Amino acid sequence: MEINLLVFGQLSDITKCSEMKIAHVNDTQQLIIKLTTQFPELALSKYSVAVNRKVVFENTMLTDKDTVALLPPFSGG
Amino acid sequence: MKEKKKHTVLVEGPITAAFIADSIQKHSSKTNIGAHDIFLGQVRNDLISGKTVVAIEYSAYSEMAEEKFHAIREAAFAKYNLVCMHIYHSTGMVKAGEICLFVFVSTKHRKDAFDACREITEQIKALAPVWGKEIFEDETYTWKELNNGN
Repeated sequence: MEINLLVFGQLSDITKCSEMKIAHVNDTQQLIIKLTTQFPELALSKYSVAVNRKVVFENTMLTDKDTVALLPPFSGG
Repeated sequence: MKEKKKHTVLVEGPITAAFIADSIQKHSSKTNIGAHDIFLGQVRNDLISGKTVVAIEYSAYSEMAEEKFHAIREAAFAKYNLVCMHIYHSTGMVKAGEICLFVFVSTKHRKDAFDACREITEQIKALAPVWGKEIFEDETYTWKELNNGN
């Protein structure tokens, strides 16, 4: 079980890369805990989480090859 | 050009005046249109902590952004009496003074054009996963933050 993680905007300054594979996470909460352990600055950042291009507001189960994206506040236009 | 086809909103680099003029010209054959409204977003040379913004580098979650643009478009067609509409948003580097967003709404009468153009523009700002990196003259940068009305 491995998911694809996409990191955008200012969050990619923290993670130092914009795409990575993450193994052994069953849901978005586990993923965030794992990421925050690895990149403590994430805990201080505001962002939403999208699973397969849909923003989720609650802990969401993940399955193999899901794409999870960390989205800081949008600033287009 | 079929107006309701699904096109790509995100375009590389600035949106030129020639492109905008050409888009307007293409509508001369659509004689049921009585009103166009256009919103153009232009990169501003903000002064931030003593440094001047010379460009914004836009990045996007392209697949999600195109889905959002499509949903915004569908909602606008459902709510307003539109003849056609087009949205273009830049990715990559856009210098201060250049155009980064082009919203073009065509209707029979002006009220729908004004109302739809405003709402679509606000929705793009709020819903599209696009980020602007403000580049300063010394090549350092800060990530753009949106405020109401900005």
